[in-house]
Amino acid sequence: MQKPVIWTKKDNIAVITFDDPELKVNVLSTPVMKCLASILDEIEADSTVKGVLVTSTKQDIFIAGGDIAEIKDITTVSSGMTKAKAGQVILNQLANFKVPTIAVINGAALGGGLELALACQYRVAGFSNKVIMGLPEVRLGLIPGFGGTKRLPHVIGFLQTLTMIPAGKIVPAKKALKIKLVDKLFPDEILTEEAISFLKQIINKTYKKSQPKKTFLERLPGGKIIISKIAIKKTLKKTKGFYPAPIKAIEVISKGFGDSLEKALLREAEVFGNLVITETAKNLIKVFFLNEKYKHHDWGLADIKPVSISKSGIVGAGVMGGAIAWLISRHNIPVRMKDLNLPAVAKGLETARKMYRYPLKTKKVKPHEVDFKMGLISGTTSYKGFYNTNIVIEAVVENLKIKENVFKELSKITSPKTILATNTSSLPVTKLANASKDPSKIVGMHFFNPVDRMPLVEVITTEQTSKETTASIIAFARQLGKMPIVVKDCTGFLVNRLLLPYMNEAAYALAEGNSIEQIDTALTSFGMPMGPFTLADEIGIDICYKVAKILEDSFGSRMAVAPIIKEVTELGLFGKKTRSGFYIYKGKKKKVNPNVHSLITARKKTPSDILKKRLIYLMINEAGLILEEGIVTEPDTVDIGMIFGTGFPPFTAGLLRYADSVGIKNIIKDLKYFHKEFSNERFKPCNYLIKLAENNSKFYS
Amino acid sequence: MSRIAIVNGIRTPLIKAGTLFNNIPAQNLGTVAVRELLEITELDPNLVDEVIIGTVANPPEAANISRIISLQSGIPNDKTAYTVSRNCASGFEAITSAVEKILTNRSQIIIAGGTESMSNIPILWHKGLQDLFAKFYKAKTFWAKLSLLSKIKPKYLRPRIGLMLGLTDPVCGLNMGQTAEILAKEFGIRRREQDEFALESHKKATLAKDKLAQEIVPVFIPPEYRRIATEDNGPRPKQSIEALSKLKPFFDRYTGTVTAGNSSQVTDGATAVLLMTEERAHELGYSPLGYIKDYGYTGTDPSHMGLGPAYIIPKLLNKTGINLSQIQLIEINEAFAVQVLASLKILKSEGFNINTEILNVNGGAIALGHPVGTTGTRLVLTLLKEMQRRNLNLGLASLCIGGGQGGAIMVEK
Repeated sequence: MQKPVIWTKKDNIAVITFDDPELKVNVLSTPVMKCLASILDEIEADSTVKGVLVTSTKQDIFIAGGDIAEIKDITTVSSGMTKAKAGQVILNQLANFKVPTIAVINGAALGGGLELALACQYRVAGFSNKVIMGLPEVRLGLIPGFGGTKRLPHVIGFLQTLTMIPAGKIVPAKKALKIKLVDKLFPDEILTEEAISFLKQIINKTYKKSQPKKTFLERLPGGKIIISKIAIKKTLKKTKGFYPAPIKAIEVISKGFGDSLEKALLREAEVFGNLVITETAKNLIKVFFLNEKYKHHDWGLADIKPVSISKSGIVGAGVMGGAIAWLISRHNIPVRMKDLNLPAVAKGLETARKMYRYPLKTKKVKPHEVDFKMGLISGTTSYKGFYNTNIVIEAVVENLKIKENVFKELSKITSPKTILATNTSSLPVTKLANASKDPSKIVGMHFFNPVDRMPLVEVITTEQTSKETTASIIAFARQLGKMPIVVKDCTGFLVNRLLLPYMNEAAYALAEGNSIEQIDTALTSFGMPMGPFTLADEIGIDICYKVAKILEDSFGSRMAVAPIIKEVTELGLFGKKTRSGFYIYKGKKKKVNPNVHSLITARKKTPSDILKKRLIYLMINEAGLILEEGIVTEPDTVDIGMIFGTGFPPFTAGLLRYADSVGIKNIIKDLKYFHKEFSNERFKPCNYLIKLAENNSKFYS
Repeated sequence: MSRIAIVNGIRTPLIKAGTLFNNIPAQNLGTVAVRELLEITELDPNLVDEVIIGTVANPPEAANISRIISLQSGIPNDKTAYTVSRNCASGFEAITSAVEKILTNRSQIIIAGGTESMSNIPILWHKGLQDLFAKFYKAKTFWAKLSLLSKIKPKYLRPRIGLMLGLTDPVCGLNMGQTAEILAKEFGIRRREQDEFALESHKKATLAKDKLAQEIVPVFIPPEYRRIATEDNGPRPKQSIEALSKLKPFFDRYTGTVTAGNSSQVTDGATAVLLMTEERAHELGYSPLGYIKDYGYTGTDPSHMGLGPAYIIPKLLNKTGINLSQIQLIEINEAFAVQVLASLKILKSEGFNINTEILNVNGGAIALGHPVGTTGTRLVLTLLKEMQRRNLNLGLASLCIGGGQGGAIMVEK
C-alpha cells in the first residue's frame, strides 16, 4: 500500500512528499506522523543529503492540519498532552536538522500543517489564492499543540503572532510574504523547481535571511507585557468570556517567548491537553463538522444540474432588496432592480453602495471594483429587462396580497425558465406558488438582515417546487458565499418560527414587570450575541410585530403576540431606525427607553436562569414540532440554522445539542412547570419531546 | 443586400457640464446607456459581437473607452470593442462603422453609441513642467530633486485647458467659435437671426420634454444616489430674445455675433443604439425603430467646418437618387446657430430649400447641448423616435464636423 508520506533523493536533495492516498487532503493523523518520523530518521542517517524539501502533491492543499476526528475523541488531559508531545518530538527532530530545510507550500497550510512548515528553516509558497496559512486552532476551542505558539513568534514576531493565533487568522500568500511567514513566493507552475534552486542557493550560502522587523513596543523593555495585556483585553471584548482558548493562547505565547524551547513546548502541550477535553472544544468541533457537512450537503439533489445565474432581477428596493442587490453585484452578477418610483429605486442603490463601505475600509474591494460592481445594479421602475433573468428575487413589503400580485406580474413578464424566489421572512410560499403560472419555479430564498453579516439563507420549498429550482437556489446561495438550508414551507419557516416566539416571550416577561436590560442580560450571559430587545430594535419592532402577527394568525393562540409589542409599535417606536425602540440611541450609545417601561405598572424580578429557560426552551419545544412536521428532517439543520441565522452560541453546538446536554426530561419538567404557572398552552411540551423522553432518547441519539 | 436595422436606442439625459454629471466619467455614462439598451431590448449579452463607441476626448484613464463600457455593461470578455473618433461626428461614425461591419459579415450584432463627459476633460500641465517631473522621479538624491524644483518657471504653472484644445483646429489655428464667426461675416448672418434661431431651439426642446423622455434613461447619481437626472437640463423654458441679445460675443468680443446663447452648450451625456440586419432583428422578435438607408461624409475647408451639412446633404441625395421633398424629417446639429443658417443659405442657393417646419422639431444642441462624441448617435435616435411617433418613412440627420467635414445619415422605416 502507498504510504501517506514518501521521500526521494536526487542530486543530494531529499524531497519529502505528503500525499495521503486514503484522503482528499493531507492531515497529520497519528499514522501519518509515524510515517514522517521514520522518514526523518532515514534522512538523518543519510550523510549524503545536503538539503530537504517538504512538499505536497495534493491539489491546493499543503497540509490541512491535525486530524480533528482523532482530536474529538480525546477524553483525558494526559492523553491530550501525550498527543501534542508526540507531534512536538517529531517536529523538533525536523527543526534540528543540520542541513537546510524548506517547506514548499502549494496550498492550504493550516494548524499542524503550518506548524510543520514552521519547523522547517525556510518556507516558500505559490502565488495561487488557494495558498493560505494560519493557526486557526482557537476556532475549535484549542491552541496549537505542535510547537506553533513557540515557533511562530520567532518567525513573524511577537506582536504579529498575537494578531494571528488568538483570532485564528488565516493569511493569503502575499500577506504571508509581507509578514515574513514565508521567505519567497514562486509561480505555482514551477514552485518545486524554484524551491530546489532556492535550496541550492542556501546550501551555497548565497542567500541571507531577513529577520522580522520589531515594532517600537516590542523593543521596549516590558513592551511584550503591555502587548499581551492589550491583546487579552481586545480578545475578551470579542469572546465575552465564553471562549477560553484565545486567552490561553495569548498566555502560552507570552510566557513561552522568553522560555527555552523545552519549557515552552511542555506548557503548550499542557494547555492543549486541558483545553481539548473541555465542553467548549468538543462543541466547537461538532460545529466544525456541522459546517463541513452543510457546506457541501447535496440535499438529495446530487444528480440535478443547477441553472447557472448570469442575470438576476430584484423586485422591491427596500433595505432587503438593496442589500441583496449588493450581495449579488459583489459576486459580479448583473442585477435589474425594480421599485414603484425612482426615489425608492435610488434608496436601494444607496443601501447597496453603503454596504460597500466596510469592504472598502477593510480593503476587501478596491474603489474601481466598487464602481464596476455598483454599475452592475441597474435601477428601473418598469419590468423591462426582467424577461431574460435567470432568477428574480421578490423583496417587497410583507403583505400577502401585494406579494401575490407581484408573482402574478412576474409570471407574465419573465421567461418560462426564470426562477421566481421570494425573500419573505414568514409568509407561506405555497400561496405565492398558487398565484403563479408555473409553481415549479417558485421557491423561497430567505436572506437574513443584515445581509452582509448573516451567512444563512433558508431555501423554502413547496410541494410543487421542482428539484431543479431547489438545486439552483442552493447553488446560487453558495455562489454568493451563503450557507443554504432547505426548509419545507410553513409560516415562519425554520428560523423565524423559532426566533419570534423567543422574542415574544421576552415581551411577555417585560410586561410582567421585568426590566429590558435584565432580560437582555439574561440571554447575553447565556451566550446569545445580543439580547431579544436589542435584536428587536435592530430588526425593527414594526417588522417584528408584523411577523409575529403572521405567526399568530397561522399557529393560533400558542403564538399570541404579547400586547406590549403592539403598544410599542403604535407609539411609533420602531427601534434603531427611528432612534428609539426598547432602547434610545444617541450616536453610538444606547440606553433603555423609559417610555417603554412607563407602559408597564407591574414590577417583578424573575431570576435570570428562569428567563433564559423560558425563552430558550420555548424554541426547543417549537423545534420539536418542526421536526415532527418534517419542516426539516434532521436536528443538524435546526442547529446550523440557528447558529448561522441568529448567532446562537456555537460553544453550545447549537439549540438541539444544547437541549440534549440539558436533558429532554429536565426541559419537559420545566416546560410543564411554566405551563402551569402561566396557564398558557405555549409551554405545553410537544409530542416529539414527550416521545423522546419516553424512549430515553435525545435529539441526537 | 440586407437592410441594417436600428432595433432600439436609449440615452442618458443631456446634462450641462459641471452640474449633475460632474463626477461621472464618460465611461460610466456610456455604461449606463449600453446597459439600459441591453435591458430594454432584453438581449442576451452573449449575442453582442462588438461595441463601437464614439468619443472625442477619450479620458486618459479609460484608453479604448468602448472596451471599458462593454465590460462594465456585462458584455462577456470574449466580445470585442473599439473606440472611434470623427470629432463631432464620432457618434455617427460608431453607427456607420457598425453598418459596414455587419454588411461585410464581420459582426452580426453591434451596439454603437457615443459618450462624452465635457465636465471631465482634464487640464494639462505645461510641457516644461512635465519634463521636469520626469527628471524629478529619476533624480536619486535630495539635492538633485531640490535643484530641479528650483527650475520651475512661472509660465509652467499656467494650465492648458483640455476642453479648449479639443475645440481648436490646429491646422487652421481657429477654435470652433472662430470658424462660426467667419461664416457670420461671409454670409452676412445677423446677430438677431442667430438669437431667434436659438430661441426657437429652446422653445421646441421645452415643448418636446415628454417626447424626449421616451428616449431617456434616468441616471441615479453616485455615490449617494439621492439625486436622479431624469431630463435634459439644457432647455430654458423662460428664455427670451431680450436675454439672448444681452449676451456678449464669446469668440470675438468687438465685432462678433456668436454668443454662448446662440452656440451649442457644453454638455455631458451618452447614447447607445442596437444594430443588426433586418432578418436577424425579425428572428429575435424585434420590431426595429428604423433602418439605415445610406450615409456619407465629405471634406471641407477646416476654417469653414460649419458648412459640412451644406456639402454632404446634396451629395447623399444625389447618391441615393432621393429628392429633398421626399425627406419628411431632418435633424441638423446646432453646433452654432450661424453655422446652420449659413448651411441652409447655401443649400437654398443650390436648389435644396429645406423646409424649416420639419427641421430639428424637438430642438437642437443649442437647447439640449452638444456632448461632442455623443451627438451623432443622439441625432439618429431622436430622429427615429420622432419618425415613429409621426409614422414617417424617410428622415435625414446631418452635422458639421470640426476639422472641416460634413456627415449625413439617411434613415427609413
